[in-house]
Amino acid sequence: MITTMVGNYPKISPDAKAPSLRTAINRFDEGRISLDDLKRVEDEVTQEVIQDQVDAGLDLVTDGQIRWDDGQTYFARGITGYTINGLIRYFDTNTYYRHPIPEQKLQSNGGISVKDFEFAAANSQRPVKAVITGPYTLARLSQLGCYDDLRSLVMDLAGILNREARALQAAGATVIQLDEPSILKHKDDADLFAEAIECVVDGITATKALCTYFGDASGIHRRLFGLPVDLVGLDFVMGPANFDLVADLPEDKMLGCGIVDARNTRAETAEEIAETIRRLAATVPMDRLHVNPSCGLDFLPRPNARAKLVRLVEGAKLAQGSAS
Amino acid sequence: MSNGLLTTAVGSYPKPDYITRARGRFQRGQIGAEELTELEKQATAHWIDIQERLGMDVVVDGEMYRGDMVAYFAENMSGFTNSGLVRSYGNRYYRKPIATGPVGRDKEVTVDWWRYAQSLTDKPVKGMLTGPYTIVDWSFNEYYPTREAFLMDMARVVHEEAVDLVKAGARYIQIDEPALSVRPEEMEMAAKAFAIVTDGLDAFTITHICYGDFAAVFPHLANFPVDMLDMETTNSGYDFLDLIRGYPSFDKYVSMGVVDVHSHVVESLDKVKSGIRMGLEVLSPDKLFIDPDCGMKTRTEEECVAKLQVISDAVREVKQELGLGLG
Ligand SMILES: [Zn+2]
Repeated sequence: MITTMVGNYPKISPDAKAPSLRTAINRFDEGRISLDDLKRVEDEVTQEVIQDQVDAGLDLVTDGQIRWDDGQTYFARGITGYTINGLIRYFDTNTYYRHPIPEQKLQSNGGISVKDFEFAAANSQRPVKAVITGPYTLARLSQLGCYDDLRSLVMDLAGILNREARALQAAGATVIQLDEPSILKHKDDADLFAEAIECVVDGITATKALCTYFGDASGIHRRLFGLPVDLVGLDFVMGPANFDLVADLPEDKMLGCGIVDARNTRAETAEEIAETIRRLAATVPMDRLHVNPSCGLDFLPRPNARAKLVRLVEGAKLAQGSAS
Repeated sequence: MSNGLLTTAVGSYPKPDYITRARGRFQRGQIGAEELTELEKQATAHWIDIQERLGMDVVVDGEMYRGDMVAYFAENMSGFTNSGLVRSYGNRYYRKPIATGPVGRDKEVTVDWWRYAQSLTDKPVKGMLTGPYTIVDWSFNEYYPTREAFLMDMARVVHEEAVDLVKAGARYIQIDEPALSVRPEEMEMAAKAFAIVTDGLDAFTITHICYGDFAAVFPHLANFPVDMLDMETTNSGYDFLDLIRGYPSFDKYVSMGVVDVHSHVVESLDKVKSGIRMGLEVLSPDKLFIDPDCGMKTRTEEECVAKLQVISDAVREVKQELGLGLG
């Protein structure tokens, strides 16, 4: 069993001695520090949040997505043809992102996240998972702009993100995760979705994870389980119906288990977490499980996020102990 | 009431710089609560004066004394603590309330401010509350076993506050639910909670809803336990009017947003008039109020006043064209 994160981690710490990204961004916006100064703080905070994950005992970490304003604009800004528009609500959360619009046909402009992945890998004692916002979700959370229909936008993005995945693989990524929460809200698009995922993972030999959150996959779970990926991630907190679906997971697939509520401060006990793992392991053996929070942890204050990871690792140990 | 097409506002107005500075000084302990309150009263009087000069029919206090619309209530009620900083977007952070015990109300929260604002004008001042669903959805929950249990308790507390506003003399009670439109599967539960808030209230009740998928929740909105729906309309291309058109038994009052609160650009008179005429195609003038899309606290004072002015001018001209009296 692997303990891991879904993706993002709170960017600011209440520790007054820690480097403050919030202050650095304000100073940069006011023209008081240079872009290099800002990047240095981003590097320091990235090191700090990787260390938080290592200290908590996670087996597989991320870079915490400290440099991302959000999952959409981080990629959109690196793709030629996008402009960034006004604020819009992110799903049913009380958080917002800026709406990307394709003003012209989108084109790859080389690696977007590769340098950040390399930095994280060089600064982590544990393997680093590379995370890409998947083409379907990126398209759904963009406006159509100059595109006539969703399909053409999704497939252009799939091609561009395939290049991104290949570049990450060439840079040494051994696990590449595609985040696709939007498919849970538009299950009628399962055909288009499958086509897009097949396109993104073409030529990828690294472990391929497809991660969903903010709901359950009922109705399309067999389609998701049949895609050419190695792991399918489900959110068991906001999608309790997912518990009934995992029996259909093929034996050659791993299950990503979002079992700690990344959107609420209440800290689950290690015993509660262990109990949920045992429940899942009754259907899918533990050696095929990745256990993680239900989605990115950036919805929480830093101390709560850290506590969630610590409990997750404790719960995983407890479950493994009781199984052996 | 007059001959219809009353003008109003959704809630917040921009805070003058001296309020922003005073709030900072108050947080650092450099000034006392009394000094801050005096400045907030001064700013409230300023906005009441602006609304009177513009000839608005139903006015608001502008929320000079509130920060976040959920945190304000959580801080003045029992059962809540504040979280550490969480990110809203970009480099914006706020403290999110956490329910750590049963929610309750030890004292009136908004009534004194309502009394103060109403003492400054003969125009009716709306009593302004944040709805139970929005407070629950925008808080963490460490106490209640379910969202529903949290929500029903919250509804009872908001109801108590609404009753006290009516006792103080408020004729219009607005209970904002901007979180309402994003989870269709919870609409039934949200309506049940809202019915607790408005139960037996001897006042005209309004709810403000914005920036969501209205089509997905429209049948619920059409039957929501409230007299008036105050909708963000212009930002979403007046699609809301098509939903009304497709629902013949719709009988709510509607307050229609005709200026975009997120844009610096002040709408032209013609654009606002055509928005009002679109509204009049589906609603009679006595059922239609005219206002901005949402709270205006993110605009500058200049932009805000210019937008309110164009609403006022457009309504006057449309009324003249239709031969409606000037109330
Ligand atoms: Zn609003």
